[in-house]
Amino acid sequence: MKIPTAAFGYTLGGVTLAVAVLTPFLLIGLFANGFASLGLHVDEVYSGGPIVRTVNAQGYTVAIHRTVVPHLLQRGETFVQLDWKPVGALPPHMNELVDIDGDGQPDVRVSFDVPKNPKEHLHADIDALNARYRTVHGIGRDAFTSMIVRADDAILVRVPLAKGAR
Amino acid sequence: MATNASIARAVAPRRGVGRSLLLTLPIALWSMLMFSQGFMRASRATKMASLLTIVFMVALFFQMMRTSETYRWRRWFFVALGFLFPVGFIYNLVAARGTMGIPIEEMIAGRTPFCFIPIPMIILPAAFTRSIIFPSSILGNNGNTAGIAVMVGLWFALSLVMGKGWCSYACFFGGIEEGFAAIPKRATVKKINPRWRYGPWAVLLAIVLLSFAFFEPTYCMWLCPFKAVTEYVAARNLVGVIQNIIFIALFLGLVVILPLLTKRRTQCAFFCPFGAFQSLFNKISIFDVKINRELCNDCLVCRNVCPTMAVNAESLAKGETHMACMRCGACVDQCPKDAAVWHIKGTPIAVKPERARLMYIYGAWALAIMFGGSILAQSTATILHFFM
Repeated sequence: MKIPTAAFGYTLGGVTLAVAVLTPFLLIGLFANGFASLGLHVDEVYSGGPIVRTVNAQGYTVAIHRTVVPHLLQRGETFVQLDWKPVGALPPHMNELVDIDGDGQPDVRVSFDVPKNPKEHLHADIDALNARYRTVHGIGRDAFTSMIVRADDAILVRVPLAKGAR
Repeated sequence: MATNASIARAVAPRRGVGRSLLLTLPIALWSMLMFSQGFMRASRATKMASLLTIVFMVALFFQMMRTSETYRWRRWFFVALGFLFPVGFIYNLVAARGTMGIPIEEMIAGRTPFCFIPIPMIILPAAFTRSIIFPSSILGNNGNTAGIAVMVGLWFALSLVMGKGWCSYACFFGGIEEGFAAIPKRATVKKINPRWRYGPWAVLLAIVLLSFAFFEPTYCMWLCPFKAVTEYVAARNLVGVIQNIIFIALFLGLVVILPLLTKRRTQCAFFCPFGAFQSLFNKISIFDVKINRELCNDCLVCRNVCPTMAVNAESLAKGETHMACMRCGACVDQCPKDAAVWHIKGTPIAVKPERARLMYIYGAWALAIMFGGSILAQSTATILHFFM
């Protein structure tokens, strides 16, 4: 039996036209929702990973993220992100002991100035109080895995872990 | 390079004004539908920009119908898109951030605009670790960026319709080099080693593997020529300076100088990994361009005018174009024997090629209005805001 390929071709051509017409009203949303439902997430080296605990302080909070371990050849080192917010409630100079793992003992001392000008560059000193973390002084925003930046209404500090720590 | 435009125009069938208008009517109505929101906005500049875009897109389509030519009318739109996109994009960046450089804060906040080029790079890491290796947001970020999901949805829908025609009707970068390629009357460099055609595949393979290995969008970090006219890595250190030097050198070389010398889209033809990736959609697209061997006299005009070297003696002998064909219509318009034709897979080659062309052009132009047209309108509004 001869397969009516021409009719099939024109039918698919018509279907393609229908796809074009439906694209702005239906298909973009359908495909976008389909993609969003795949359960993907932005790599944690960028996003900082999910928040696992929030500590309330005087007028502000410190959100503690899950430890982020870079993938095999990914640049940088293992880190934990801490978010101080809102910035308006922070004192001009922050010097705080933070219990990252929630065992009741402080793990690091983080200190930084909170300038009024949001565009001013930030610098932080991190002093490790146990062997899991690494002491770093004067970090800025040169590396994703060890830095301090202001993002919206929060000051984010990424505390690097000591080599081999997880 | 031999361009036989005058011959092609002489033999191209021309429709009457009335019939051309009738064929343009659906596109005119579609344009008004697509830009109806632009008219509801309070800003006079936005209204004017929407009106100008509608007139521009409908007039070009009318000319496509009237002259039965595709390439040169499409090129007006595409070059306008290529040159206006950076205007609106840079203006919005500078207004929001005060700089074209991407600060690390914006990356962490997921506000790096996601264009389509990283799509091939995110596939392997996403498949193996569920991580998107791009510092943006999946669902958008407070209206600041569209979000990765919307961009992926848009790209996928458009690719189903256009195939690799994405590179001729939707890519907001390709128009820049097409514009430069259109400037000289003749090519200075005519002989190009055909092996350069494999360049995009090599770059694609390299960046896909490197992105998976290092978990970063390698092409965006190191090789994208269009960073020079959109947003670049903030040069905070020596690495950043080197990255920006590479971006600018690639832009000047592949997007400005080589197109001026060769009259081809050299970045697309020899380098763009996304173009190579997009070629795969030509396999599932129902539309293609064929060479009717019964009419072809091997004059090689099609080979000479193809912007991406998708036609050569080998493909001509088979009566087809290579996978790199981006459906721009240059070969069809310029073939003096009407041997190069638009075609629907499964149908006979010589039968009603104009029907195949119309079916393709309606879909592609409708989506070009929706996507590229909205970019044109937005960028035009940005410019008009200074005067109104």
